[in-house]
Parts: sequence; structure tokens; C-alpha cells
Amino acid sequence: MIGKIKNKLKEVNNRNLEQKRSDELYAIGALFDTPDEIMDAAGKTTEAGYEEFDVNTPYPVHGMDQAMKLKNTMVGKTTFIFGFLGTTAALLMIGWMSGIDYQNIIGGKPFFAIPPAIPITFELTVLLGGLATAGLMLTLFNRLPWINNPLHDTNYIKQTASDKFGLVIYAKDKNFNIATVEGFLQSIGGKSIEKINFFEVREDRVRTPIFDFKFIALLAVVTVVTAVTAYGILRYVLFLPPFDFMWKQEKVLPQEKSTFFADGFSMRPPVEGTVSRGYIPYEYQGLPDSVVTLLANPLPINAEVLAKGKQRFNTYCSPCHGYYGEGDSRLRGQFPNPPSLHTDKVRQWADGNIYHVITNGQNVMSSYAKQISRDDRWAIVHYIRALQRALNAKDEDLN
Amino acid sequence: MSFDSTYTRELPLVPERSSFKEIDDVIFRPVEEAPTRKWFIAITISSLALMIGAVALANTFYFGIGTWGNNSTVGWGFGIVNFVFWIGIGHAGTLISAILYLFRQRWRTGIARFAEAMTIFAVITAGIFPVIHTGRPWLAAYLIPYPNQNSIWVNFNSPLLWDVFAVSTYFTISFVFWSVGLIPDIAAMRDRASGIKKRIYTVLSLGWRNSNRHWQHYERAYLILAGLSTPLVLSVHTIVSFDFAVAILPGWHTTIFPPYFVAGAIFSGFGMVATVLIILRKVYDMEHIITLDHLEKMCKILLATGSMVGYAYCMEFFMAWYSGYIFEQFVFINRAFGPYAWAYWTMFSCNVIFPQLFWFKKIRRNIPIMMLLVILVNVGMWFERFVIVVTSLHRDFLPSSWAMFYPTWTDLALLLGSFGFFFTCVLLFVKVLPSISLAELKAVTENAQPTHKHHH
Amino acid sequence: MEFHNKALPGKVSRIGFGLLITGLILMVAAFALDYRRAMFDYLTMFMWLLSLGLGSLGLIALEYISGATWSTPFRRVSEFLASLLPVMFLLVIPVVVGMKELFVWTDPQVVKSDAVLQGKEPYLNTTFFIARAAICLLIWVVFYFFLVRNSQKQDSESIPQYTKSNIRLSAIFTPIFMVTLTIIAIDFMMSLFPHWYSTIYGVYYFSGTLVAAYSALTLISVLLKEGNYLSSRINNDHFYSMGMLMFAFNIFWAYIAFSQLLLQWYADIPEETFWYIIIWEHSWKVVSIALFLVHFAIPFLVLMPRSVKTNLKKLKFMAIWMLVAHYLDLYWLIMPAYDHHSAVFGWQEIGFPLFAVGVVVVIFKMKARKTNIIPVGDPKLESGFNFHL
Repeated sequence: MIGKIKNKLKEVNNRNLEQKRSDELYAIGALFDTPDEIMDAAGKTTEAGYEEFDVNTPYPVHGMDQAMKLKNTMVGKTTFIFGFLGTTAALLMIGWMSGIDYQNIIGGKPFFAIPPAIPITFELTVLLGGLATAGLMLTLFNRLPWINNPLHDTNYIKQTASDKFGLVIYAKDKNFNIATVEGFLQSIGGKSIEKINFFEVREDRVRTPIFDFKFIALLAVVTVVTAVTAYGILRYVLFLPPFDFMWKQEKVLPQEKSTFFADGFSMRPPVEGTVSRGYIPYEYQGLPDSVVTLLANPLPINAEVLAKGKQRFNTYCSPCHGYYGEGDSRLRGQFPNPPSLHTDKVRQWADGNIYHVITNGQNVMSSYAKQISRDDRWAIVHYIRALQRALNAKDEDLN
Repeated sequence: MSFDSTYTRELPLVPERSSFKEIDDVIFRPVEEAPTRKWFIAITISSLALMIGAVALANTFYFGIGTWGNNSTVGWGFGIVNFVFWIGIGHAGTLISAILYLFRQRWRTGIARFAEAMTIFAVITAGIFPVIHTGRPWLAAYLIPYPNQNSIWVNFNSPLLWDVFAVSTYFTISFVFWSVGLIPDIAAMRDRASGIKKRIYTVLSLGWRNSNRHWQHYERAYLILAGLSTPLVLSVHTIVSFDFAVAILPGWHTTIFPPYFVAGAIFSGFGMVATVLIILRKVYDMEHIITLDHLEKMCKILLATGSMVGYAYCMEFFMAWYSGYIFEQFVFINRAFGPYAWAYWTMFSCNVIFPQLFWFKKIRRNIPIMMLLVILVNVGMWFERFVIVVTSLHRDFLPSSWAMFYPTWTDLALLLGSFGFFFTCVLLFVKVLPSISLAELKAVTENAQPTHKHHH
Repeated sequence: MEFHNKALPGKVSRIGFGLLITGLILMVAAFALDYRRAMFDYLTMFMWLLSLGLGSLGLIALEYISGATWSTPFRRVSEFLASLLPVMFLLVIPVVVGMKELFVWTDPQVVKSDAVLQGKEPYLNTTFFIARAAICLLIWVVFYFFLVRNSQKQDSESIPQYTKSNIRLSAIFTPIFMVTLTIIAIDFMMSLFPHWYSTIYGVYYFSGTLVAAYSALTLISVLLKEGNYLSSRINNDHFYSMGMLMFAFNIFWAYIAFSQLLLQWYADIPEETFWYIIIWEHSWKVVSIALFLVHFAIPFLVLMPRSVKTNLKKLKFMAIWMLVAHYLDLYWLIMPAYDHHSAVFGWQEIGFPLFAVGVVVVIFKMKARKTNIIPVGDPKLESGFNFHL
């Protein structure tokens, strides 16, 4: 068995790969021994007026582009254009994604700022510039791949890949004439002059079998068919929709029972005695008014605080106490009307007492500690003081 | 002038002007001949290490990241240390192939291809660690900004995301650079081969035919790729350093990190390239292509970069004191004299003190001592990352959360496995592709270029 | 050797002395008008001259240790510029005299009320500061003396041994260069804001000096080439390399500057960020943006195409541009310590750069009178002339 395979492999390996050549001449090549000779030859070929010729050397020979009168390469400009595209694309991408579409505060930084965008912008510039340079250099500028160029598989190309320097004049040149070209090549010192014919299968029809349009189209069709089939089977036959990482995450949704914790709750109750942020315990909670003697209003009196107090008072207090604290409820008797806030008793109370009533409640009035924040309660106290003073204004208040 | 050649001659790459044909033979020999026994022994050892790593990896995936030594204080352990270490190893390749190319250091030619290949393998090795460290490698796709059902985007302010872009760009561009360099060599191999090999090489060489019309574009593109790779290689380790330095953690947040990491990366990369080359030139009898002169040059670069790293160590220490910032001061005292002092001093001596021996020419030209020193460099640079990661974390602002980090067998086996993976790749590469750039080597041998008298 | 040692025209001296004297008069007036402000201007100018002198010495060392040959025909330019270093001994005196105006930490009252400055006292004190400055200057002058002496002796003796000892000297000098440069950068500039610190500071100044030194080398080489003082064998590839290195080190500068900015911006801790707040508020913001454009963005785009680096006119313009940009860089580093709120610029600032350029021209001319402009005896010269990319 193994022997059979081995024999088969050997047979494949030894199969003659040489393609048959036609009678049509493609080019005439000549070999030279040293870089100086080839430079000289290239210069003379240009001078003789040949345009369709090439020099093949095992490595780039310096100064050859001048000798061959080649135009300056455009590779650099390509890189610049694509690199610039990369820069723009990266900035637009980051700017839109993190600055507009999905704004998140991270470390107190702006949604979009230049410094942290630089690294990715740089990388994409280099990525696009580099890929375009290499890719376009090969395909656009050098017209590769071209694996069945008639020059291949000739003595000429094999020698120039190793240690000889070759010059080839193509038959398509307008001054081409077999005898003159051969004579010319000899005159400039060329050795082993070789006539190179086209392959039987012309290279202009199939430049590169694997990059042939049909082959690539076939690949594309196979890819699409496989992908669509696989997707269809997964999705509609096996009911395993692919690409659902984002939909199906391992987390507990609202109203769902946790299978992880024995009590079925997914969130853990806080440890006993846990205090939430900003919470300050109220030490007079549930105690009578008389004990509240040491509380003073921490807020300054200014327009801002009073405006705040007014807003809160009108929202929470005025339904029963009336907009001016006169006890004129808007509730049409659904609750007993509270006493006026302008009585002597309330006016002589310390700020702390009023605060205590709001916080703790009194008689029918319940505690407002949950609805109104601590600072807002103190603002309300200021506002009540302002109302009281307004109703009992003295002459000097008018100044 | 009689003394002209003493100080001006570039390193003779091929002594006594071997013919181009002989160069072909030497370079293609490892590829064309059947593997030797030495090669089989080497690959057995490296794949054994790789297998141990694979077992550890399976263990990690089966049981989870709990099998690693990380704890809640030292949340970043071997995973990131190995990642940074291998990324660093990768930097020498691009340095040799791109930066030295731009500086027209012709001696680089003999080692460039090989170093580039090492870059590619090192970056792959490095890439393994961020992917596995989550314990769920299939979720790595989240790192790419792609339109998704929840319409959320990745965090572009995170240096870890910059890493994703940097490392993948680095890999891609290095790979392109390396492949572009390979095309003419594969073409040369195609013209020597027959049978199936020839077919494969024909396709891989894209039909390259050494045309000077092509060389013109090719050379410019190669120069531009070198020009792009140079800032790229700086950016990669810079961004890796940002992973640490943008934090406010004392010991990580220091502005010298970017150039310091780059210098360290080049240092460790050269250490690794030297280690492998010393072995390789022996195994494949390439002593006359990778000469002692090459190794001496590499020693000089090791000395230079090692000293740069030393400068950064001292600068960090001085600034910690100078800053007047007590947390910063504590971290550095803890590094040098705390429970991980042994790691710190291993790092310091291997990276800064021992390489100073390269000041002496005798040591630069003594293979066994050089071998010892470059291995110490590898050790030292691994410990550098260990010191940065672990000692900065293990005693943070809150003494109640102080802890020690102890690696588990899984950690150690994964580290071993990463070496196994890397060396297996290197050994396979040497067997399959020409490990020295033929076209470039020929171009810089003596008398390879025309004398400029005719055309200037 | 295709080289004729042609003396520089007398015009050079006249221009040099003209600038020197005009600058000096303006400087004296500036000192008389506002002593403190003039001190800061003086420090800026001092650091700029130091960048040229020290950077050039660094380039010489780099050439020797890297074995580069292309720059050998131009090495004398760097050597002449490095002869600024002995002059620095004179020029540093006003800085030391005016220390009290420049450095907050010299005031015992301030230190007494500041715990951080007390902690830094072992380093930041007047005696140690002067000692460090003197030692660093001395080291540079010693290395300058030996390196240049060896190089110049070669002109007549043509002994390759001198190259060998210079390679050795350069290797020893390089690490010392890095350390001393860092010390001076920290002392003379970073300690203007004694609370602020950045570990990359030395590297930052280093990158700036190299840009300045390459620009000066390029500028003078182009001028010499235009006046036909250099060999006819100097070709475009030489100038291309200079332009390339100017371009490369400029990118390196931007890289270092960006690294520092990003890290301090991102971490946002009060120990460091305050400095960036100073230079990002009021009129300093304009200077910061100008620095980005002048020092990085514009030269980056202009110097990128290959054609610019081989066009001597454009190259000359860009070299002058980069020298100005380096001055702006130093102004941006130093002057915020004079006025946290607004960037001052008036006639007082004009005299200092004029004086500095005058010093460079006069010293260059004096040196060029005595010494060959090309190191004719250097064994690397031939290969330097033959340099082709």
C-alpha cells in the first residue's frame, strides 16, 4: 500500500512539466558575466533605439534604471495616498464610533479626544499604506502573478536567477528583426544567445491559471454556496442560530430566576449595616420636637437656594400647606387642613424644628425624608423663613 | 591610500568572493537536502515542549483561569509577562530588516530574513496569551469593532484595544515585508527545482523573473516598507508600554516607559536572535555566511541597548526619589529590597551588568561566553517584565490587600510550551524556506555592483 | 584629493560680528529693562547653543561608533560647531549668577514652606547644581578636546591609529554623553518647575539636540557646497541622507513628546498634569499648537517627498526652519516658568537669538580659518566620497 503511494508520488513528481512551445518567436535573450558588462549593454540597447527589452539580473543592479531609461516609480505616491486614506478612515471611525454613536464616559475623558486616537490612527495608516505598497507594487506596477511567461523554463531565466546577467529583446519591438537583433546582441558582448518562443497555450490567454477569472469565480461560488448551506442547516435544521454571542449572554434577565444562588435571587442583598453613598443617618429619627436643639441650617441664603426651596416647597408642601404656607389646602377636604406656617409658634421655632418636622413627620403629616433630599429640605426651610418674613415685613425690609 | 580599507570596508559577507553559484548552494542546502539527525533531535525536543504547553492549555480551558497563579491582587501574571516578552523578541527582526536597512548597514543581510521569520513566529506566540488569558478564546472577536446586535462599540480609549490594532498591524506588515523579500528567492529555488516542488515554488514566486523593470518598483516598495516598519516597530512596544503606563499605578506610570520598552524589546530580540544564530550556524555549517563579525556586531548592539535599558532603570529610580511622591518611592524600594528583590537583581544584573562585558573585544569574539551572556539576556528580559508586572501589583495602595504571586505548574508549562511553539516554527522554517536572503546577499557581495565610472 | 582649502570670505566675519554686536546691545538693553525676563531669555539661548554644540559632539561620536563613512566629509562642520562647548564655560556664568531669578528652589523661604522641595534639597541646592554643571561641562570639553585633536592631527599625519582611538573615545563618550545631557536637561530646564517630573525628560531634550545638530550640519554643509568649499565629489545622496536623518529624528522628537503628553494626559494625576495645564491655557496654548505645527506637522509633510531631500534650496530652507523650531521648543519649555499665564514676546526676545547665531558664525569662521573644512587625512574619507545609496 505504502509502496504504491510512494510509486504514485514518484510518478507525479517525475512527470514532465515542460510545456510545449509554438513556433512564434517571443524574444531573444543574451547572457553577460559581470554587472559592468550588463550596465554597458543596457545603455547601448537604449541608445540603439530598442524600447521593448528587459534586463534580468539575480539582484537589483544599481543605476540600471538610468541605463534603461526607466521612468521614476510611482510606488511612493501610492503609499502616500493609501496611508492618508488610512489616517482619515481611522479618525472618522473612532470619531463616529466613540464620539457620536456610542458615547461612554471613560476615566472622565471626553468622548473623543485626539491623544488616545493617535495609536490606532497610526496603525491603520501604516497598515493600509503597507498593504497597498506591497500589493500594488506586485499587481499593478509589475503585473504579477504571471507564472507562464514564455521566459520561464528557459536556460536564460535559470542562469539569470543564479549568477548571470541577462538582456532580452522582445519580438514586439518595432525595430525587431531576428538577424539584426542577434547581431546586435553579439556586438555588445552577449553570450549564449537564445531564441525564446511562445508556449503553445498563449500566455495572454491564461496568464496565471490560479488567478484565472474562471478559477476565482468558481472559488467564490463554492465559498458562497458552502457558507449559505452551513448557515441554513445550522439555523433552520438544527435550530442553532450562529453569530448570536450578543443575543445569548450568560446573564440573568429581569424577573428571571437565578440558577446559581440557592435562594433564586440573582443579586445579593447588601451586608448588614451597609450604608449607601451620600447617606447621612438622621439621629433624631422618631424623637419629639423638644430634643431638636442643635440642628442648624447648613445652606447659605441666596437666590439659588431660595429658588430651589421654592420649587421643592411648591411640589411637596403646597398641596396641603398652600403656596404661601397659609394652610389653604388644595385638597378640598380630603385631608384635614394643616395649621398656618405663620403662627407665632412656627415663627419662633428654630430652623432645626422645621427640618425635623419635614424629616420626621408630625400628626397626620408623614415623613418626607424619602421624597426630598437632605439639602432640599434645608432649602425648603429657608424658603419657609422667606414666606414668614414676607407676611410680617418690617419697614426696613423695604429698603 | 594604503590604510584605506582598514576602517572603511564593510564586513565581508562572503569571504574570498565565492561565486554566486556557491552562495546558492550553501543557502539552499538546508532546504533541498533531507533533514539531518541534528535537526530531528532539535525538533523532537521543541515539539515535546510544545506538547507540554498544549496539555497545560487544555488544562486551562477545561478548568479555567483558576489554574493559573493569578490572584485578586496580582491580577496580571504570567499571561501578560509572556505576552510582552514574546512581543519584545519579535522586535529584533524588524529592527534588523528595517532600521538597519534604512541605515544601510549591509552586514544585516546575512541575518535579516531569519530575524524577520523570528519576528513573525514570536508575534504569533505572543498573540496566544491575550487570547487565552480570558479563558474563553472564542470571545476574542469582541475586540474587533464590528456592527453588532447590541449596537455597542469597543472602547477606543483603552490601551488594550490599541494593542489589538498594533499587534495585528505589526504581524500583517512584518508578514508582508517578509513575503515580499521571499519572492525573488523562491523564484531562484523554482529555477533549481523539479517536479512538485517546482510547481509549488512557481505559484509562490508569482512568476517572478528578476526583471529590472520589476526590481525598480520592488526596491522602492521594499525601502518604503522598511520606512513604514521602522515607526511601526517603535509603536508596537510603545503601545504595549501604554498598557501599563497610562494607569496611575506607581511603578507603571512613568513617562520613560515607551522608549524604555522599545530599547528593551530590541535588546531581548537581539538576545534571542543571537542565541538561535549561534546554534544555527553550527548546525548548518554557515559559519562563513553568518560570521563571527556578525555576531560581534550583534554583541555591540546588545551592549548599546542593554545600557539604554540600564539608563531607564536608573532614571526610574532617580525620578521616584525626585518626585517626592511616597507611593512611587515605596514601590521602587520594595522592588529592590522587598520580597521580590531576587527577581529585581536577576533582571538588573542580566540586563545591565553582565552585558557590560561586551566592552571587551575578546568576549565579543568568544562563542561560549557570548552564548552564556545572550541566554542571560533572555532570562533577564523575561524577569524585567515579571518585575514590572508583579512587583508593582503585589503591594498596592491598600496594605490589607497585599499578596504574593506564586506561579502554578500550568503557568510554567505554558511558558515552556511557548518556547516549544516558537522553536518548532523556527526549525520548520529553516527546513522549508531559504533562511538567508539570497538576492540581497548577492547584491552586497564585493564586485556585485557596477563600478560607477561609466554612469556618473 | 579633489579639495582646495579655500578661506571663507570676510563677509562671514562681518555678518557674524554684526549679529553678535547687535544681539549683545539688545541683550544688555533687555537685561536693563527687565532683569528676570532677560534671565529666562538668556537661558533659552544658552540651551539652544548647548544643543548645537553638544549635539554636534554627539554626532561625531555617533559617526565613529557606527562606522559611518558618508558623513566623514562633513565631520569638520560638526567639529567646528562642537567648539561651542568651551565657550559654554563663559556663557554659563550669567546663568549661575542669575540663578536666584530662574530657579524657585534657590529661595530658602520657598523651600521652608514646601515639603516636596525639602525632600529634593539634597539634589536641588545651589552648590550641588553648580558642581554638576561644572563637571558636565568639563567632561564635554575634555572629550571634545581629544576627539577633535585626534581628528585634526590626522590632516597632517594621516595615521589611521587616530581613527581607532577616536572610535574608542566615542564609545566611552556615548553613555557619558547620555547621562550628562540628562543631568543638564533636568537641572537647567525641568527644575524650573521643581514640583514637576518626567522620566523621559532627558530623552526629550536629547531628541531635540539631535534635530538641531543635524539641521545645523545640513544648513552649513549646503551653504559650503553652494559656495564650492566642499569637494565636487559630494553628491545628492549625501544631502539626501542628511535630510533623511533630519526627518527621522524629527519624528523621533515627536514620538517622545507625544509619549510624555499622552501618559500625563491620560493618568491625569495632580503631581504632573499641572504643567500641561499651564502650557495649555491662555496664550501658552497658542505656543503649544504652534510648536506642534512648526516642529512636527509642517516639516513632516514637507520633508517626506524624496525630491525635497535632494533639492539643496529646499533643504537649506528646512534646515533653517528646524533650527528655529528647536528654539521655539526651548522657549516653550523654559518661558512658562517666567510667566505661567501668558507667553511673552517682544523686542527683548529678539536680541538673544541674534547673539546666538552671531556666536555660531564667529566661532565657525575662526575655526575654519585654522583648519581644513574637510578631514583630508581621514581613512574613511575616500569611502565617504564614494557614497552612493
